[in-house]
This record gives sequence, C-alpha cells and structure tokens, in this order.
Amino acid sequence: MSCLLRVDDLHFDYQGHSVLRHATFELEEGSCSALIGTNGVGKTTLLRIVAGVLRPATGQVRLRERAMETIALKEIARTVALVPQHLELPFAFTVEQVVEQGRTPYIGMLRGPGRSDRMAVDRALDLADVSSLRHRVFNELSGGERQRVKIALGLAQQPRLLLLDEPTQNLDIGRQVELIDLLHFLRDEGITILASMHDLHLVDKNFSTVLLLSPGQPLIGGSPEQILKPSILEHAFQCPPDRHPLLIERAELYRKEAR
Amino acid sequence: MLIAGLGFVTLLSLGTGAVHISPRAIFAAMFWHRPLSETERLILFHLRLPRVLASGVVGSALALSGLLFQGLFRNPIADPYVIGSSGGATLGASLGITFFSQWSSFGFSATALLAFVGSAATMALVYSLARSAGKTNVVTLLLAGFAISTIFTNSSYFFELFDRTGAGNRVLASWLHGVIGIPAWPELAVGAALLGLATVAAIPLMRTLNTLVLGDEYAQQLGINVEFARVAIILIGSLMTAVAVSLGGVIFFAGLIVPHVARLMMGPDHVRLLPVTALAGAIFLMLADTLARTVFAPSELPVGVLMAFVGGPFFLYMLRKMKRSYTV
Repeated sequence: MSCLLRVDDLHFDYQGHSVLRHATFELEEGSCSALIGTNGVGKTTLLRIVAGVLRPATGQVRLRERAMETIALKEIARTVALVPQHLELPFAFTVEQVVEQGRTPYIGMLRGPGRSDRMAVDRALDLADVSSLRHRVFNELSGGERQRVKIALGLAQQPRLLLLDEPTQNLDIGRQVELIDLLHFLRDEGITILASMHDLHLVDKNFSTVLLLSPGQPLIGGSPEQILKPSILEHAFQCPPDRHPLLIERAELYRKEAR
Repeated sequence: MLIAGLGFVTLLSLGTGAVHISPRAIFAAMFWHRPLSETERLILFHLRLPRVLASGVVGSALALSGLLFQGLFRNPIADPYVIGSSGGATLGASLGITFFSQWSSFGFSATALLAFVGSAATMALVYSLARSAGKTNVVTLLLAGFAISTIFTNSSYFFELFDRTGAGNRVLASWLHGVIGIPAWPELAVGAALLGLATVAAIPLMRTLNTLVLGDEYAQQLGINVEFARVAIILIGSLMTAVAVSLGGVIFFAGLIVPHVARLMMGPDHVRLLPVTALAGAIFLMLADTLARTVFAPSELPVGVLMAFVGGPFFLYMLRKMKRSYTV
C-alpha cells in the first residue's frame, strides 16, 4: 500500500505555548486511524494543519509525497476534507445547499455548478445517507443528522483523505454506532480516514491504527492493542488507574491475556 | 414580476406629489407624444424624475450593501448603518459638503469621494476592532460598529460650526436627516454608474459569500482565499454605501429590511438574492420616498426620519427573533 500522508517532526505554537511537539506519523492509503489525547493537547490543531488551514511552525507535511506548502489551496481541498466539530449557520440554508459548498474547490468564480458537480452532490448525499433530508433546513436537524450532513459536505469534495474532528461527540450510543458504520463503509469505498476521538471504547475495535498525543511528549502510533494499554493511557491522560472504569476494565483485560 | 413592479412603482412615484399627474398623462406623453403642460413638464423632468431615480439608486445601493455585509459577517442584523460604514461615509461626506463643496469634476464630487474613503476606512477599523486571535466576534463587531457609527454621524454636526456663511448648513442639516434631494443629472449618472459597476463586481463573489456563511475556517478549508474575498466584499459594500450616502444622506435600516424580505422570498442563496435585492431595494425606497413627500404635502418628511420609524421597530423584532432561533 502506498503512503498518502507523511507528517514529519511537526511543531506548532499557539499564543506562546507549544501545542504540538515532534509529531511524526504516516497514513497508508485506505487506512482508518484514530487520533486520541487529552483536551487541549493539539488534536484539532493537527487536523487543521493536515487540512492546510494552519501552517506548522516547523516540520513538514507531505501529501502523496508532495510538500503541502507547494500545493494550491484548491488542490488540497480536492484531496483532503475536514469535518469540523461545529457548524452553525446564520441563515436557513437547506441540506442540499450546504452540501453543494463541498464543490467549491471544483467550481470557478464565474462558472456555475455543472452536471458533474450535481452528480457528486447526489452521491455524497447518498453515501452519508442524508438524501431524504436534502430539502430540510440544516439548522432544524438533530445532532446526528447534522453530523452526517457535515460528512456529506466533506464527501462532495471527493477527497482521498477524510479528517473528522470528534465525530461521535454529542451523539447517543445508537447514532455513534451508525457513525462508525458509516466510517467503515467509506473506508471500504477507498477513502482514508483519520478521526480524533474522545470515547476510547469506540476506538478499540473500530480503528486499525491509533495515534496518541500526550502533553509535552512526541506522538506515538500503533495498533489499538499497543497503544490502549492502561500503563500508557494513565500517563497520557493523567488519570489515576483505579478511578476510571475504562482503565480498570482494560487492566483486567490485559491481566487475563497475560494468564 | 419585480421588474414589472419597479415600472409600476416608478410611474406611481412620478405621478404622486404635491401636484398630481395621472399615470395616463405620463403614458400618453411617453408613447404618443401627447404634450404635457409646461408646468407638468417642469415638475416631471426637472424635479420628480431625478428624485425618483435617485431614490431607486439609493434603495438598491443600501439593500445590496446590506446583503453583502450580512453575508460576510454571517449576521442577519448587519446593515451599513448598524456596522458603521454609513457613519464613516457620513463623516466623509460632511467634510466634503463643508470644506470642499466647490470641487467636483466629471460628476465626481469631493463629497462622494470622501464618503467612499470614510466608509471603507470605518469598515477596516470596525473589523480590526472585532477581530482577535483570527476570529471575528459578532457581538463585538455590532457594538463597535454602532459606537463608531454614532460617534461619526454625530461628529458631522460639528462641521456646522465651521461653516461661517451658513450656506452649507442647510444642505448638511437636511442631508443628515436623510433627504433625497433633487440631484443634478451628472451626479445621478455617476451614482448609478458606480452602483452598476459595484454590482457587476459583486456577481462573482456571490458564490464565495455562500461558502463564507459556513465560517472562515470552513471556507479556507474549501480552497477560498478568505482574506482576499473579505477585502473585496468590504470595498464593494463600502462603494455601494458611499453611493447611497452621497445621494441620500443618512437613511437608516433600509439595508436591513430589504435583504431580509428578499431572503424570505428566495431563500438564502446569494446568487439568486443579488438581483432580487437590487430590484426590491429600489422599489422599497421609491415607495418610502413617495410616501415621505406626500403624507404631509406640501411639506415633506425626510425619508430618513420615516425609515427610522419603520426600521427601528423592525430591527428590534429581528433582534428578538434572533435571540430565539440562533445563538450569536
């Protein structure tokens, strides 16, 4: 498999203090990875850098072996899509109008959307399973529906890499499972996935790779079994091992396996 | 439909006033060369037509700049008055009226030029005040705009002190109340041409405005050069504001109401909103100005005063509605 994204020794400073240090990792084409770490450790920042919205202080991001800063904004937007945590609209845009914005990197200033653009929007609505909502007003949708519409917007960009910032946040467990299924479906369609995740229960079985950011530490990556060890999580999340059910549960799991 | 409406309202406005001229007589004069009386001709072509056209241009310009600013600042209660651009234009134009009233060439008066400079500079100031850490705080933006707008509009009154002869005083005073006077033809032509130019320049930015509504970061992520788009929209909106202010003085809230009504009719897509807002703005202010000069005929109410009475309550209604449906 070929390497889609290569991030090399990334640093980023935000208002004087460093958020990211020594972030180095690669994403294989067609992989499905989770990005975990405490609040404020730089998960969102890392996703924004990879999407080309922020520039790292030092270090390099290479997209298909090309340095990010040499690629035009529009071309990045045709390869990478970022689904952010929040989308608030001041006006009553319909779902279809929102998803159409995903075609922005393909449409010139004067030329309107063409046949291929309309087809891409239809397919994006289909893939994210929101075709039935197409004429609804975005602001009137539920949290789970909005999440899917945001993903459809990203898919309308026809990206190779889909970045998601805490896609399961504020979703009930049923909608969480639906969302994970959608991510797996998209991966099977050939889209590489990188999602920042808070709920570590969901990370364990559903992602092939886990990237862990700890405050002041270099990023480490590996399989869920390698990274989701109580000894590692305890330090990364600065959480006493006997206080959170997840750590207790995982400690038991590893003890059983050792036996 | 709107174009027909515009035609109808133009005829209506032309006919109505202290002296009534029936639409039939106007039609007859237009298509069958049936001559009007000398008085009627004078009233129609030298007094009423320039004024009706001017109110159309002013209405269009205010409504369009309102549309641009509302989209750019992602806020349905932004309008050239609220966010300060008309305050800056007012200050610039007052300077022009008081000190450089003699200077003009090719229909570009110092008043109009200074109005544009004032409008664009104020927008830059308000915008930089509202921006911190790469984000625009909407509440700060509106408050800063309102404060600066008030300061600038009212500092215009100081210029009355500098005017020794008192000749400019009456011009300035009526102008600060928002009276659409009877413009000279070259002045009107330049205003209309600038508005046309600004509107044409705005056309390719309408799709960008749709994307900017998602937020700056989203737009950037979708490959839009956000800084460039923002500067372009502010310049175009300021030009429109300057056209409106230099022809009509201080007129509140027209830029707020018209885009809102257009959005109710057409939905929020800016590509479709542009022509509708332009036409609706012209119709709206023509009607308002006709009303202003007929209600107390033969005395006239400044249209700016009328708009404050209609627009103020509407603004409050919008504020309440926003509180309910969206968090600012």
